[in-house]
Amino acid sequence: MLASGSMEPALTLTNVSWRHKIRDFSNWKPWAKRDGPGIHSINLEIKPGFILGLIGPNGAGKSTLMRAICGLYDSDGFNKSSSSRRSGIGYMPEQVRWEGRVSVRNSLRTIAMMRDKEVDIDDIILKVGLSSKSENYLDDLSQGMRQRLSLACALLGDPKILVMDEPLNGLDPLAQRAFCNLLKDLASKGVAIVISSHQVTDLEALVDRIALLHHGQLLIEGTLPNVRKKLELDAGSGIVEMICSVTGINPEDISLDLANDDLLPFRQIGVEEE
Amino acid sequence: MSAYSLGWHIMKERMSAGRMLVIWPLLAMFILFSSWGLSDPKANLPADLVIDSAYDVMFASTAFIVFSATMGAVLISFDGVSRDRLSGVLEIKLSQPISRSVYARALLIGHWGAIFVPVLLLNIISLGIIWYRLDDLPSMEELFIHTLATGLLLLWYTLIQLLASSWAKDLGSSIAVGLGVWMIFTLLWLVLTTVTAGLFGVGVENLNSTEYIEIEAIMDLFSPNGVYHHLLELPLDDIDRGVSPMIASLAAILWSIIPLQLFIRRIERMIP
Repeated sequence: MLASGSMEPALTLTNVSWRHKIRDFSNWKPWAKRDGPGIHSINLEIKPGFILGLIGPNGAGKSTLMRAICGLYDSDGFNKSSSSRRSGIGYMPEQVRWEGRVSVRNSLRTIAMMRDKEVDIDDIILKVGLSSKSENYLDDLSQGMRQRLSLACALLGDPKILVMDEPLNGLDPLAQRAFCNLLKDLASKGVAIVISSHQVTDLEALVDRIALLHHGQLLIEGTLPNVRKKLELDAGSGIVEMICSVTGINPEDISLDLANDDLLPFRQIGVEEE
Repeated sequence: MSAYSLGWHIMKERMSAGRMLVIWPLLAMFILFSSWGLSDPKANLPADLVIDSAYDVMFASTAFIVFSATMGAVLISFDGVSRDRLSGVLEIKLSQPISRSVYARALLIGHWGAIFVPVLLLNIISLGIIWYRLDDLPSMEELFIHTLATGLLLLWYTLIQLLASSWAKDLGSSIAVGLGVWMIFTLLWLVLTTVTAGLFGVGVENLNSTEYIEIEAIMDLFSPNGVYHHLLELPLDDIDRGVSPMIASLAAILWSIIPLQLFIRRIERMIP
């Protein structure tokens, strides 16, 4: 982590909102759509050199927020335009199923051609540990190797901000450790990192700050000790306890039959949706 | 990054795909065999077709191009967008700095090139066949019009299929739409033309009547295959179906611009 202080944020989000369009079954028109879930009035500063962990239950809006940051959605509220954001951001989506009779190197080259500056593909391939697989077809890659390829795509063009959605999925423990080391190294060089992961133990050890999302709203953001303090949790409380605290679930009662609707909404956003 | 260099890269990728092992022989059989057969001076052709020049052979063999090359365009492009979308790769591609309209053009150039280059190469070989069999070659004007019209036909089918691929949520829907469109324009258009002629009170018992040919020529403007044949008829002095070269050229321009704009718009607004 770089020395904090009054450094310029790499990206500022002010009242960023975006709603998915979903099929409107109440209408006879097959093409009719209505506003579905999304993110609501997100205010956030992404600072260089910090690793920000996005946490929250399923459907909280983490992936939606990440896509909005990466300019995949046409949403307002950023201090940079969508095209300038895309130039400085490396994005690693969740579980990309790379497939086809195309080599790893060729796939990476295709993505590299979409960047606005020259990229040393061999260097990136080496960095993510794909040197021995660079001429293999995508069809022949394991899930872990596919994750590495997605990471390689995110690292193309020396991005100032890295946005990573569940990057640890499918990686073996050694690769997870190497991955976390790489992220820490990049953060120490001033890269701002936004990461979401359900592997909370790894995440707790990795992140400098966390942002807790629920029902598309950013509930709380800060360093882990600060968040614990604000939520009146013990010093030993982890991310699970934080999520339980804001969703109103007793940690003892957690079970898979808990529907998302059972979770306590922080604000009654359903009323304004109607 | 220009659309051309990315398109060139996509084209090379597409041309090395496994499905080209099916498309190449299919094209070769249709294009080369039709040139060989139609340029046989002893050939007995149906519908009183008289072939006495190299361009006549090329004109007649376009029926086989319409059948095979357009199918090739569908087979190459049906997963042009939908496959990346389903696998999540499109999210990575659309988050890159390249503008979406440039990416859309690159996709089009890549997929169109992957079918046009083989067809062009086979057409060049078929020129050799025609020269060998008839001892005649088409003029530069005829060659230019044939190549341009074939390129445009493949462009229209590629655009239609890429549009279908960008709309479809799965590969099955994408290929179903593409094949459906191909069937309508290639196999069913005659039925539609006959029905339309009937609705306008033109007798369909004689398909060689002037009234029917005029209706057919107008209906052809609404089909890529029809516009293709209008363009191919430009160098032929003995064919006049009542549609001026300007109208045929205008139809070709509209068939190029409208789907292209729709496709670019679709990619620009696409949510991966």
